[in-house]
Amino acid sequence: MAPQVTATVVDDDPQSYESKHVHAVYDEIAPHFSSTRYKPWPIISQFISSLPVGWVGLDSGTGNGKYLPLPLERPTDIWTIGLDRSRNLLTIAQNAGNVTRDVVWGDALGQSWREGAFDYAISIATVHHLSTPERRKLAIQRLITAVSPSRGRILVYVWAIEQDEQSKRTIPQVADQSNGGEDVFVPWVLSKNVQGKQNQNRNGKPDTAPQDTNVQEDGSTTDRADAPRIYNRYYHMFARGELAELVEGAASMLGLHVGPLSPEAPLGIEIVQDGWERSNYYVELRRWKSS
Amino acid sequence: MVRLITHNLLACHAKGCTSNNFPLKLQDVAIEVREAEFNPDFVRGFLPRLEWKALVQAARELGDTSLPEEMPEMVDDGFLKNLHHVLLEIHIDEGAMICPNCGHTYPISNGIPNMLLAEHEIG
Ligand SMILES: [Zn+2]
Repeated sequence: MAPQVTATVVDDDPQSYESKHVHAVYDEIAPHFSSTRYKPWPIISQFISSLPVGWVGLDSGTGNGKYLPLPLERPTDIWTIGLDRSRNLLTIAQNAGNVTRDVVWGDALGQSWREGAFDYAISIATVHHLSTPERRKLAIQRLITAVSPSRGRILVYVWAIEQDEQSKRTIPQVADQSNGGEDVFVPWVLSKNVQGKQNQNRNGKPDTAPQDTNVQEDGSTTDRADAPRIYNRYYHMFARGELAELVEGAASMLGLHVGPLSPEAPLGIEIVQDGWERSNYYVELRRWKSS
Repeated sequence: MVRLITHNLLACHAKGCTSNNFPLKLQDVAIEVREAEFNPDFVRGFLPRLEWKALVQAARELGDTSLPEEMPEMVDDGFLKNLHHVLLEIHIDEGAMICPNCGHTYPISNGIPNMLLAEHEIG
């Protein structure tokens, strides 16, 4: 029987909580995690492929850097820098796609850039690791201020309560949903014999949603001395509408009008896409200046 | 890696450090030159958003004097090639970046700059 997603309560100061239940875990599982993440989701590929030549962007929470080589059809037309909290993942991202990449060890809540320095920013499967609504909103604000006020484009992807049927995951319904979403632990099973299984992937699905690959396979075949270790990662699973609400909150705190280009406001941001794709919610944003 | 394209984007984000926090000063750096594929369209497209003076200054600190003091009005292939080299082929592997305003030190080790701050230090 595979370990299940379980409800959790953030019972510590959020920074220490994330340090223990997110950052430490990724540093520990980095090589194994990396061997199972490889195929970008269609929405992400499309977004990156639509960017004009000469654009420079930020991948906030780059992990193993799997989006840094995109777009595959014209890889040198744009340039993406990777930011992550896990140094062990960054050493892998540094060479994503067998090309030297620039990566920065930093936090999604930091802002170590000239304001508006980037043309685009992506945040894939990162904001859901922040453990309070305020911190998730701040992460969105950081993305907004990192990109150009007149044309910056942003794509954010987070895990949804609404799961794909194929994911076969049971989501507990007991958690406190007053924030809209649910706080959960998602087990990551690190088997002792991962080496031999590195390139195996169930049904070849692209994966942004957390997966417990190898669970059934390894759980049933390994003996006790060789028992897999289980690491619980903290996730905030988003409710429908919660991501757009977060964006609206972040934008208005920055004094930006939310909606299409309007002569009534000097600066704004438009939600150009707001959707669900296989167990994830995403939003695509564009900043604009009206003069 | 830290190349000068990255250096041109980074700024200090220590609490209260909001002016004169760019460009970070390079210190005790070890560099390595590695060839990268030249895409003139990329370099031309990125050019208008560069902080030119900061780039020229950083390149000179690293011993590269191929770029003119002022951004040229006429952009030819020779210039784009020099700019490509400065932006994308000089890698800083070790060293540090120092904020010109507050003096905060951001170390670079194995090609990765450490831009982390303790949460109370973030502005
Ligand atoms: Zn400073």
